[in-house]
Amino acid sequence: MTEPNKKNSMPKHYIAPSPVANYLLIGAGSMFTAMVIAGFIVGYLLDYLFGTMPIFFLSCGVLGFIGGMQKVRLLTKRLDQQATQQKKDEQNVE
Amino acid sequence: MGTVEYIQHHLTNNSVGEGFWTFHLDTIAVSVLLGALIVVTAMRLGKQLETDTPGGFQNFVESILDFVSVNVRDAFPGHNPLIAPLALTIFLWVWLMNFMDLIPVDLFPYLFQLVTGDSHAYLKIVPTTDLNTTLAMSLTVFVLIVFYNFKIKGGWGYAKMFLFHPFGKFLVPVNIIMTLIEEVSKPLSLALRLFGNLFAGELVFLLIALIGGTLAVGAAALFWAPLQVLLDLAWLIFHLLVITLQAFIFMVLTIVYLGMAHEEAH
Repeated sequence: MTEPNKKNSMPKHYIAPSPVANYLLIGAGSMFTAMVIAGFIVGYLLDYLFGTMPIFFLSCGVLGFIGGMQKVRLLTKRLDQQATQQKKDEQNVE
Repeated sequence: MGTVEYIQHHLTNNSVGEGFWTFHLDTIAVSVLLGALIVVTAMRLGKQLETDTPGGFQNFVESILDFVSVNVRDAFPGHNPLIAPLALTIFLWVWLMNFMDLIPVDLFPYLFQLVTGDSHAYLKIVPTTDLNTTLAMSLTVFVLIVFYNFKIKGGWGYAKMFLFHPFGKFLVPVNIIMTLIEEVSKPLSLALRLFGNLFAGELVFLLIALIGGTLAVGAAALFWAPLQVLLDLAWLIFHLLVITLQAFIFMVLTIVYLGMAHEEAH
């Protein structure tokens, strides 16, 4: 019985995901939450400055939500690219 | 003392002052003592350095230095002599402060109550379960981020980041608010992540400790006492990973954020 050697089937030019990207991914969830909270804080301060409560409070909260989603999407997209590249490499080797 | 009072008592800081000027004495004392421990240990080790046959402790410290230095090399693009010592300080200090979470929850408060003679004296010995500590650390990092952004990118380069990012030159007002939110979220996420994880960990320890309260019931102790020991041990082992991981994440994200501040403006 010959078990395929996984180590040997790994393409030589496989690039491990960047550690920095992984570290940022660890914090993706809390980054999203922090963006929403930061949005509300910035909005509250702007409303406090201009006396427009709750216009900036709500709109900045929404912007924080959008920004948080965008950040998480950018981070996970990077991981997708790495997975796709790895798949392509494996197909090329076969 | 009921269950709720027990938990509230353990989660209340020993403080003086009122309102904004409230000082959490236990948080300040424990964090300063742990910082002093790092300084004294480093000084003593520095005086006894062996180049030929390093001892076990020196090897251990060197392995931590190597670990931090590898992470700085991986995550930081340029060269700045401040980053590695800063990262090392953050890692060691946060880890030691987190480590206080592994000390039995009733031990120090009980000893403190014995010493002061006040049976209701408050003492919370884990500084990272206090939002003031984590926010103070992350705000210090934030000040450094802003400083290096100004230094590397220049005033106009930094302003351009606010004006044209992320939606280009046609949505300048939105860009300013979005970038402002993004910048504020950095220290906020750093502080909340560390605080949240450690606070929740402490709370679980308190809940497990409450099982011991049923020992008074009598024969039931034969079941509850071993269960408490088992649960405590399991959570302690798991939490040892959590405290290390949280110290590591705080350190690495500090390096990453400072690295982003060192990137030239496009």
